[in-house]
Amino acid sequence: MFNIRTLRAILALAVVALAVVVVVSPATSAPKATPTIVIWADKDRVPAVTKVANLWAQSKGVTVSVVQKEMGPIREDLKTVQTDTAPDVILGAHDWVGEVAANGSVVPLFPSAATKAQFPAYALNAFSYGTAIKKLYGAPVALENIALITNTKLAKVPTSFADMEKQALAVKKKTGAAVGLSVQQGSGGDAYHMYPLFSGLCGYIFGTNSAGNLDPSAIGVANPKFLKNAGMIDTWNKEGLIRSSVDSSISKDLFLKGKTAYFFSGPWNLSDIRKTPGLQTKITAFPAIAGTGCKSVPFLGVQGLMVTKFAAAHGVDSFAKDFVGNYMMQPAAQLALAAANDRFPANTIAGKQVADKDVKAFGAASVGGVPMPNIPQMSSVWGDLGSAWVRSTKGPGSIPAKRSFIGAQKSIAQKIG
Amino acid sequence: MTTATAANDTGPAGVPPASWLARALGFFSGTVGLVIKIGFLAVTNSLAIYAVVVLLTDGHWISGGLVAVATLLIDVVYLGPWHQAVPLKFLVPGTIFLIGFQVVPLLSNANISFTNWSTGHNLTHQEAIAAIEENSLTPPADGATYTMTPARQGGDLVLLLVDEVTSKAYAGSKDGLTPLPPADVTIENGTVTAAKGYETVKGAELLRLDEEMGKLLIPTTGSSFIRAEGLSQAIELQPTLRYVPARDVFVNVETKTVYRDNGEGSYVSPDGEALEPGWRTYIGAQNFKKIATDPLVRDPFVRVFIWTFVYAGLSVFLTFALGLFLAIVLNKPDLRLQRLQRALLVIPFAIPAYLSVLVWGGLLNDDFGAINNLLGVHIPWLFDPTWAKISCILVNLWLGFPYFFLVCTGALQAIPGELTEAARVDGATSRQVFRKITLPLLLVATAPLLIASFAFNFNNFNNIYLLTGGGPLQADQAVAGSTDILISYTYKLAFQAGKGSDYGLASAVSIIIFFIIATISAISFWRTKSLENLT
Repeated sequence: MFNIRTLRAILALAVVALAVVVVVSPATSAPKATPTIVIWADKDRVPAVTKVANLWAQSKGVTVSVVQKEMGPIREDLKTVQTDTAPDVILGAHDWVGEVAANGSVVPLFPSAATKAQFPAYALNAFSYGTAIKKLYGAPVALENIALITNTKLAKVPTSFADMEKQALAVKKKTGAAVGLSVQQGSGGDAYHMYPLFSGLCGYIFGTNSAGNLDPSAIGVANPKFLKNAGMIDTWNKEGLIRSSVDSSISKDLFLKGKTAYFFSGPWNLSDIRKTPGLQTKITAFPAIAGTGCKSVPFLGVQGLMVTKFAAAHGVDSFAKDFVGNYMMQPAAQLALAAANDRFPANTIAGKQVADKDVKAFGAASVGGVPMPNIPQMSSVWGDLGSAWVRSTKGPGSIPAKRSFIGAQKSIAQKIG
Repeated sequence: MTTATAANDTGPAGVPPASWLARALGFFSGTVGLVIKIGFLAVTNSLAIYAVVVLLTDGHWISGGLVAVATLLIDVVYLGPWHQAVPLKFLVPGTIFLIGFQVVPLLSNANISFTNWSTGHNLTHQEAIAAIEENSLTPPADGATYTMTPARQGGDLVLLLVDEVTSKAYAGSKDGLTPLPPADVTIENGTVTAAKGYETVKGAELLRLDEEMGKLLIPTTGSSFIRAEGLSQAIELQPTLRYVPARDVFVNVETKTVYRDNGEGSYVSPDGEALEPGWRTYIGAQNFKKIATDPLVRDPFVRVFIWTFVYAGLSVFLTFALGLFLAIVLNKPDLRLQRLQRALLVIPFAIPAYLSVLVWGGLLNDDFGAINNLLGVHIPWLFDPTWAKISCILVNLWLGFPYFFLVCTGALQAIPGELTEAARVDGATSRQVFRKITLPLLLVATAPLLIASFAFNFNNFNNIYLLTGGGPLQADQAVAGSTDILISYTYKLAFQAGKGSDYGLASAVSIIIFFIIATISAISFWRTKSLENLT
């Protein structure tokens, strides 16, 4: 039935296939000599994490493999990853905690009381989640928030909001810019960067329940106090103080080119600000808006390390917990990691040792700030709250802020259900 | 310029094609061809065997088996002596790829649409039970924390503990805590380094201790126990929830509240409190029911559906009209720099769409965009619901017309000149020639492409998402903004509404979109056939 040529061909195939099987089988079943802790971190933090983690690993006799991923995919891929390639430790933002904990992807940590005492309560709270009892799911390592950056050649550090408004509009007139403040929005809006203005007008996102935990049914996007102050947004829109057409690149560009005097931004822009020749800046807290009785505060972001459920399956659970819950919470490691990318360390002892004046200033501007809600329902909020600002600050044709924010509140409530 | 020169090089070749084709065929049907064939098959088989080994070790029996069967089928078809199998050589790989890349994803999508896979429902039932138990562990009010040193006592693992408050030393085994007399232990920096009768675990053994240490629970009072936390600490923990396997319920240790399986992947108390995490399970047609009944999904559906049709329809019509117009204009044989002009028109096609859309987003900016600045107007391109829709279509026109320009240029050249000439001789005007001769002949060639283009734009997530993000979101709109098409609306519904991500719901909507597009395409192809019959 088969001729010689075909038989030869089949023989050749069999030989190649056999060779492959011989190569493959030991690779898939060989046990690991030393445990390896796999860490997922984003591009900005990979070098710092690698350095700090290797110091720890050498003292324990294990190895560390730091995998570089984008911030978003760290969170997304954790849901679908297979155990073989799964991380033991992830570096992430505190507002993921609700989602990753609800998914059962991360495990609770129990650092010693002495260690916990070295952290501000809100940083630990930010990494805690639970409907009935809150558990700590991550070790905070760095704090992140926006502050008011003033171009001191163009204007003075404002003494009040009205002062900032006056100076910003004067600079706008002088430079011919289309906007007074460099606050980023864009067509999709940016509730994060608008939060100092939002909180200054007495807006908040979620209230708290009797147990002190965030309550997704108590939405404060259009609370009565805020609505009373919302008219100011319409004034700001009319005078061109803020504009929804200003997106992240435009807001930065305007500030770096000296077209606006005030920039609402975070430490991620420090290196570009320092690189700009002739630009002199001062970083301060946001001035309060007179007459509202509320403070203008930024959202607080906390970055931290979390131990995944996969660590136990990989036989490195105790190592991962030692690294995250013990080693990385100590001042020295915190200082090394946070300083490597211009962030303020979460550990308060490390915080006192920060030398950089700008990083220190961002730390000072965080006082009184509100941690970004870490409950999964927050995913319903960003778009609506950002869009409410966009609708009311797009210049001519804008909708009165009161109507716009009432609409956002309704829509958020409907989505959370 | 380089493009134009390159186009010039591809003129009629000097060598008669038949001769080298014949030679190539002769060359490849001999030994060389056989060697190449065996080479390709060997590579395919090696990859397949690798895949099967990996799949079977991971316990994926069905997919592993399917890969094996498919590979064997390919081997038999290509190596078999039978000549009737020649068509199969083309059909079998094609069918396998069709199944692998079209049918399997569709079935898996359909499968997911009947589950509750979403944030909070990501684990298997067993994993969820373990995670709930783990999450329920809480340090008791008077619970102690210890420094910890793993040790062995006659082979059994023991944790040598020092209370961090009282500094008393203990040995903890699976039978409980034993106080160690101070004379028998050496404590350095608050940690036991040696103890009489115990051998501390050191070196390489420490590296393999994880699983054993994780299983060691040292019982204390009641249901509390001490467990290692990391490598140098231990902590007393108490479960607040207890799993009862016989009844498949969780019971709160303190309040005795019972949490029952609600059939939708959660343990729920009588007053509606659900334990997190839940698990993935089949929930019947719940997701489809939600699409039909949930006002959040149902209300914007019609609005989004209509806009999706308008967007896809206008995109196809305008890109085709502009492409055809330019193709006819540039088809004049006596046109100067014809090749250069054609090359220039194809540029939008050559720039990656992602990039162009983002650049267009910047150009169309209200206050800072080049377009408003150049025109000296203040059109809210991206901030007004109607203008945003126009922007979406205009940007899509820019991205899409070169495709139809190319297609129409080709198709026009394929229409025999005698036909149009004959019509002219019969006294037809240019318009009549175009309407009665050119356009129908052109449509026969391009109709399938128009249908494909419609289907593509119907699901053109990238353009919408990158240009407007589906916005602007009006005050009375909950999920879908003014320019959201079905697929971007699905994305928002699945990932930005409610509580995190909802893959089940997203799959259900995708299935519906699939049926819509399949129906439209089927009808269109059927109509095209009648068009072909006409000519």
